Parts: sequence; structure tokens; C-alpha cells
Amino acid sequence: MTQASSDTWQVGDVVLSSRFLLGTAGYPSPQVLGDAIVASGTQVVTVGLKRTLAAAGDNGHVAMIRRCMQQQGARLLPNTAGCRTAREAVQLAQMARELYDTPWIKLEVVGDEHTLQPDPFELLQAATQLVREGFTVFPYCTDDLVSCRRLLDAGCPLLMPWGAPIGSGQGLLNPFALRTLRERLPDTVLIVDAGIGAPSHAALALEMGYDAVLLNSAVAQARNPVAMAQAFRLAIEAGRGAWRAGVMAKQDFAVASTPVGGDPFLLGPAA
Amino acid sequence: MNAPASIIVSLDGQAHAVPAGCSLAALVASLQHQPAAVTTAVNGGFVPRDQRERCVLNEGDAVLLFQPIVGG
Repeated sequence: MTQASSDTWQVGDVVLSSRFLLGTAGYPSPQVLGDAIVASGTQVVTVGLKRTLAAAGDNGHVAMIRRCMQQQGARLLPNTAGCRTAREAVQLAQMARELYDTPWIKLEVVGDEHTLQPDPFELLQAATQLVREGFTVFPYCTDDLVSCRRLLDAGCPLLMPWGAPIGSGQGLLNPFALRTLRERLPDTVLIVDAGIGAPSHAALALEMGYDAVLLNSAVAQARNPVAMAQAFRLAIEAGRGAWRAGVMAKQDFAVASTPVGGDPFLLGPAA
Repeated sequence: MNAPASIIVSLDGQAHAVPAGCSLAALVASLQHQPAAVTTAVNGGFVPRDQRERCVLNEGDAVLLFQPIVGG
């Protein structure tokens, strides 16, 4: 049995083997998007909602997503991108549930235009209400431990702390905070969302014990998105494998790896 | 005084004339959208699909239609 099929994680009753959640925006063509989805092996792809007049130029991307989802048996995760208040986010989540026929929602409530940092207060308010309404809330949040705990208390089944600002490609800017979250919330599904730019960033997140990563721009903006999706898939599998195998503890000093008994030189030291 | 034959609503931010007494469901149909292809809000509030028929539009109502799009 392969690692992918034997090592699973869950969102509620849904069992997943892929630890790669993929965004669908910014691809050069529907075909490239479809091929990237296949190459990624993802079982969860994110989608959005847009006003009909503004969405006139979709050019078949959504149809391609639906086709790939059917072929791979994967799920859609609609988001509330662009929301600035809890009220907006709740309204958009309700519309997303109707449009995509899923209770899953990636809850985004942004509090700063420059960094697109999540607003922890509006996020918690929206999450609380949506959980009451039966949603499965995937909150895009900061790496602040206390606000993360509040989201869990509100009924979120998992957390999606940022690695870096959305689309920045800077990787895991605060490994200490992310490690702290992992250590303090050992039984919580944790997904690094946003800021991942290279497969090594994703591998590091998995090596730290994160359950999955969600990314978009790093694949969509690659010179070859399909090859990059494959590269991320391999890195994520490697990172997860390393976590399960147990990464060695760091040492402050050199520790000889070759077992040497006595003097390794036949001639001994010079006279 | 006779009721106006048509009223003006804001459709995705643009003025749009509809017959007086027009329902949200009728507006969606007049725009050639399949009912399940869009989701709707009036004056900032979500209007579920099964309530569109009962949602009669009034002068100046702000109607938003959303459809699926790619996203991160």
C-alpha cells in the first residue's frame, strides 16, 4: 500500500489522502488548469463567486474545474474572498452553499488592504454564525494561538493559518508561531494557507507536522504550472513522509556520523 | 394615478428596467440565466433560490447576481 492511500486525514466524515489543496485562479488557460489539477493529485480545489457582469470572461475555467472534480472524485471549497466584514462573509457563504451545493466554506475576512491579513474579530464572528447554520468552516486565519483557539471553540473543525501574505510567495515567515500552533494544538487539523512560493516551503510545513497546505499562485504563476503542480505534490509527500519518519533533533555542535574506532590512519601521526 | 409600467432597479450596480411587479425569479429568467446557475442577493441580503418567485422587486432595489468563478 502506498503512503498516499494509507496515510489519510479527515474533515468531519470526509476522508482525504491528498494533502495538497489547490487554488484555481490565474492559470493561463482552462486546459492548463485542468492538467495542473490532475498533476497535483488534489482532492480539494478552491473556487469563488463573482458578480455576473464582472465574471463574463471566465472562458470555461469553471467548467474545466467541474469536469476534473468529477474525474478525480474531488471536492470544491468555495471561498469568501473580498469580504471585509462578518456580515458580508456570512451572506457570501450562504450564496456559495447554494451555488456549489456544499456546506464547506473557506472563510476569508480581510482586515488590512496592504497585507490582506485576516481580521480575527470579524472572522470569529462570521465563523460562529456559520457553524450555527451548519457550515463546515475552513477559517483562513493568522498564526495567533489564542485567536485560533477561539475559532476552534466556535466549532471550526480545522484551522488554516497563513504562512505569509496571500500571493507573496515568501514561504513560512514565522516558523516559531507555526510550530507553537502545532505543539499546542496537537489534535487539530492544521493547514498552511497562503504565502507558499516554492515546493520546499510546502515540504517544510509538512515536516513541521502540518496536515496539508493550500496554495494557488505558486502553481498558477509558474512558467510551467503543470510541472510545478507535480513538483509540489512530490514535495508535500516528502514532507509528510519526513514528519512520519521523525526528523532528527538539531545539535549545536558537530556529531561525527562515521563510527571510528581508534586511529583511522594506518601510519599514525607524523613523528 | 396609474402604477408605472416599469421600474428601475440596480442590477450589479447598473440601472436596469424591469416590469412593475417583476419577481426576482422573473428577472433571472429574463437575463437568460438558468435558476441554478446564479445565486442572488437583494439590498445586501441573500435571497435563496426557492424564495425568488415571492421576492417582488421595488424601485431602486439593489440586485446582485453571483456565479461561479475561479478562486484561491
